[in-house]
Amino acid sequence: MADERESMSPTKIGLGVLWPTFWTGLPIKLAFAVLFLAMGLMHFEGRLGLAFLMLLASPVTVFALPIITMGLESHIGEGVGIALLFMIAIPIDVWAFGVVARTFFLEKFRKEPPDGLGMTLWWKSALVGAVFLPILWLIISTVTATAISMVHSLFEIELFKGIPVAERISIELAIWGSIASLVLILLLLIGISLVGRMIRSTAEAAQPASDNYQRLITRWDLMRVPSDQGLMLTALTGTGVVLSLLFWAALPVTTPHPHECCKKPEVKAQPPFKPLEALNKDEKMIAQLSAQVEALEQKKAEAEAEKDKGKGKAKAGKESAPPAPKKP
Amino acid sequence: MEQPSIPSTQPTAIEKVIAFIDERVGLKQMQAKMLNEPVPGGSRWAYVFGSVLLFIFIMQALTGILLMFYYVPTADHAYASTQYIIHDVDYGWFLLSYHFWGSTAMVVCVFAHMSQVFLWGAYKSPREMIWLVGLALFGIVMGFGFTGYLLPWDQRAYWATTVGVEIMDKTPLLGDFMARFLKGGPTPGQMTLSRFFVIHVMILPAALMGLAGLHLFLFRAAGPAGPFRGTPEEIRAKTDYFFPRQIWKDIVGMAVVFASICALAFWEPVVLLEEATPDPGDYHPEPEWYFLFLFQLLRLKIFAGEFGQFLGAIALPGAFMALLAALPFIDRDPERNIFKRPIALIGWIVVMVSILLFTVSAIINREFLD
Repeated sequence: MADERESMSPTKIGLGVLWPTFWTGLPIKLAFAVLFLAMGLMHFEGRLGLAFLMLLASPVTVFALPIITMGLESHIGEGVGIALLFMIAIPIDVWAFGVVARTFFLEKFRKEPPDGLGMTLWWKSALVGAVFLPILWLIISTVTATAISMVHSLFEIELFKGIPVAERISIELAIWGSIASLVLILLLLIGISLVGRMIRSTAEAAQPASDNYQRLITRWDLMRVPSDQGLMLTALTGTGVVLSLLFWAALPVTTPHPHECCKKPEVKAQPPFKPLEALNKDEKMIAQLSAQVEALEQKKAEAEAEKDKGKGKAKAGKESAPPAPKKP
Repeated sequence: MEQPSIPSTQPTAIEKVIAFIDERVGLKQMQAKMLNEPVPGGSRWAYVFGSVLLFIFIMQALTGILLMFYYVPTADHAYASTQYIIHDVDYGWFLLSYHFWGSTAMVVCVFAHMSQVFLWGAYKSPREMIWLVGLALFGIVMGFGFTGYLLPWDQRAYWATTVGVEIMDKTPLLGDFMARFLKGGPTPGQMTLSRFFVIHVMILPAALMGLAGLHLFLFRAAGPAGPFRGTPEEIRAKTDYFFPRQIWKDIVGMAVVFASICALAFWEPVVLLEEATPDPGDYHPEPEWYFLFLFQLLRLKIFAGEFGQFLGAIALPGAFMALLAALPFIDRDPERNIFKRPIALIGWIVVMVSILLFTVSAIINREFLD
């Protein structure tokens, strides 16, 4: 049994720790992801599956993702939410690594888990991922592209030109899919084995656990149960309520993707109506206008008076002038 | 001598209500039976799919009821009422998108649950009945997807149903009757919509509730199968009750599925095509994604012609389902470890890879059609 433990392959160790770690942190990360999506902080463009895998494997993709995004110009989506999500994922992954690795150390290695195990394994795995994943990405992209073009050119040969479209698609997909999958599985196994070696080297320095199997089971079982369950339940419920409220507050009321038939015309918002202000404004305007009317009427009256005066003068002048000499 | 103070034993109002109900229905005994079930080998994430499926079904029922407040199941108003839900009802777009992606999640979880039962060898004696009822539940889930797809009454819905009913028509003996019964006329119309609606909201939910209850009853009667690996001592040492650990895992599984469906609703909300007409126009009819592999299979030359279509659409899937139903009676070997059952393991891989291959082929095929 002890020999079996010591001879455990690095791939088995890597898989035994990474797989549960990925899933342990995921529910918490997913809650934040949904919140950011509702807030419109991030958008995934047709690569949701890849984004999900990246988030699931964030203990190893956390540094690899920016390298792939910037260095290899391949991105999973847009928005500040993606960077924020991967930053939030760091403490969650450290915690998840700690919970899983402590159990693994006790159950599989029968060794006492050292202090700060979660943090140690997290930074080492993130570093391995940062170096290994961009290489894997590059190789897989190249292999897939080459395999597709090779298969396409193979089917351009006269001999295969008679193959119907549906059969051709499936055969082509089976060929290039198998090549790409084989290379991917091989590279993933190498990556997992690298992490496994790193975990084994950490375990070598740890002290052996002295308890019997039943006692060890109780220990790792209790490690997953919080000392104050009431507090944990209250905190969890509180967080759930806050997240739900934030979600409903951020959720758009109407569809963000309206159909052609149902696009609503843009309506400009009317300024708020304040009756007292409007009344004062109207009164001022009426006063101004009546003053203008008054001024105009006065001007008109003055002009008429001037005109009357001019007429009177002309009449008086006519009356005082000598009569015109009569024609013979 | 001073008497020690006796604590008050007067029950609270809640305790009184609980005691009242317990006296009449045996609440505490029921609770103990439900929560204190031993899980051999302890709780596992692999066991969450059954509970998750129940959760998805409850959510589908809830969102479905809310959608029914606005949806009008008539050929004249189905499309307009669905557009109204998407564009005018507060959060209607989210409810509809959640309902749509919920159906996808249900199919994925049914596949995952069936795979887990198959790989764990949990269909073997004495759990044959659970497996058979599970297969019937699988058929009901597929029926939900098929009948629900028509209800928005857009081009996609109309033509997917037309193709589906035509495939059904090829079934010997019952096919013609089934196709005529479902369509209710020469082309899909009001009668088709009414019948699909009634099947979707009344018949299938009732059947699912009844069969799910029977499935759970049979499961409790036979007990959980437990892990397929490990010595009896190890399994005994790790054995735990259903509450709290397995329940906790189930809750986390439900939360993950809920969040995933929400994320999908944001990523790809439901957008309808044009209203259904008997003229497909530029639209290339195709079924929902979980029937795509079968649709692509029927495009192969080997399945051309009347007999070929019958072979691909009815005979092969029918034979496969019959094989699944007969599986617990054919495979009598008590060995449950999947790594010691090479035929089962290879068979499962071949089926999964084939479904994946033909589904992706159908997606690539769209480019050729466009």
